[in-house]
Amino acid sequence: MSEGTDLKSRVQELIDTMINPAVAGHGGYVELIDVQDNRVYLQMGGGCQGCGAADVTLKSGIERLIKEELPEVAEVLDTTDHSSGTNPYYTAGKS
Amino acid sequence: MGGPRLLLLLPTRTYRTEDFIDAARKLGVDLVCASEKPSTLEDLAPDTLLTLDFADPEAAAKRAAAWSAGRPLAAVVGVDDATAPAAAAIAERLGLRASAPAAVDATRDKYQMRQCLAAAGVPVPRFRRIALDEPPLRASRGVEYPCVLKPLALSASRGVIRANNADQFIAAFARIRALLQRDDVSVAGDAARYLLAEQYVPGLEVALEGLLTKGHLHTLALFDKPDPLEGPFFEETIYVTPSRMPVAVQDAIRSAAAAACLALGLTEGPVHAELRLNDDGPWVLEVAARSIGGLCSRTLRFGTGLTLEEIILRHALDWPIASLERERRAAGVMMIPVPRAGRLDGVRGVDDAKAVRHVEDVVISAHVGQTLVPLPEGWQYLGFVFARAETPADVEDALRIAHAQLRFDVA
Repeated sequence: MSEGTDLKSRVQELIDTMINPAVAGHGGYVELIDVQDNRVYLQMGGGCQGCGAADVTLKSGIERLIKEELPEVAEVLDTTDHSSGTNPYYTAGKS
Repeated sequence: MGGPRLLLLLPTRTYRTEDFIDAARKLGVDLVCASEKPSTLEDLAPDTLLTLDFADPEAAAKRAAAWSAGRPLAAVVGVDDATAPAAAAIAERLGLRASAPAAVDATRDKYQMRQCLAAAGVPVPRFRRIALDEPPLRASRGVEYPCVLKPLALSASRGVIRANNADQFIAAFARIRALLQRDDVSVAGDAARYLLAEQYVPGLEVALEGLLTKGHLHTLALFDKPDPLEGPFFEETIYVTPSRMPVAVQDAIRSAAAAACLALGLTEGPVHAELRLNDDGPWVLEVAARSIGGLCSRTLRFGTGLTLEEIILRHALDWPIASLERERRAAGVMMIPVPRAGRLDGVRGVDDAKAVRHVEDVVISAHVGQTLVPLPEGWQYLGFVFARAETPADVEDALRIAHAQLRFDVA
């Protein structure tokens, strides 16, 4: 198994065992799209897609977790088309 | 990670999340995000995710202080009206840079703000606070017409209604009372018990975006609002900067906004002020201890490309800011209003709108299937159109043409 493939499988395992069980609480899920040059490309779906708090979930939650577990990961990037989300858990608006 | 630790107070439903997180990332700070509801990942990432009760600033400050005992914070920033009081309370408790909580609290209660400004001689509309349990007919007899009725604490024109006579006053009164009982409105204390009735001030409206440092107000941008805001509701649509007002008028606006900040006791951080102008000069309608709302800050670039959010975070961290000068080109935004109540079934014409000359971007923030509620009860925009050009007139034209390309299917 190559280093890249190994990293990808370890990221996938984190998503399966830690991240998705948590975000499922808001009807969301995360899919691993790819790992290239230590950059992790994700897509968010369900309640996460278009959610007003998706960036918080990604940057302060998912990226933090992945980097803590896998320090070789340089960055986690969101490839989600959030404008197509039809059932976001939180919809942004004026306070 | 590795930079100073910065706490961002981000309500779960704010438009401001992406821009503030991007700014924090660019600055390389160790970002901690707090929301009023728990993140699904908070248990797994307790060093970067936090739940705080923004409606109870003292409790939020206590919780943040306990949390930060082993994780010292270098700065705290609230991104909107709902979080500004909690940010001020946390900053005071931890000795961080911010305006005093009492000053920020005064901006969150329109009655308190009017009292404070009037006492300091800042021009404000004549006003009166009315208990929501007062019979509206009786209340309608004590005001002069036309007047404007508004909740004490809501933002962005929500619940703001003009009344030209007693019948309209009574209808507006009932509408605001019902609005304050909606599930998507969370107000407490005086804000749940009173409304404000004030003199309608005719004239043009502008918005001043500023940054306070040690009590000095630096104007970051002055926006004209070219669409007339005459009621019965006050839907904000187009903002264009720089202002096309004469220089002397702009100076008077700046002076009035600075006097308002001084009167309120605001000393540090972003402020967003709304003023009206007529033959009597500028009238201060609102001063908020926050930056511009929605996605509107994307119109602003400073110095060599700093965003408004980067400036706000740098200020909170007491980091140097190379320049507070806005770029030379004109810029503007259109907040796309909700045309009518219903369910959003689709949006057409986005590519055509994006293709309009000088248009930089079109962001549709409402989602298909979303229940749309127009003003005065509504609290969301359909989206935003951004334009940049050599002149404010070109920007305004581009925004109007782009908006005309958009079709919203509402069932």
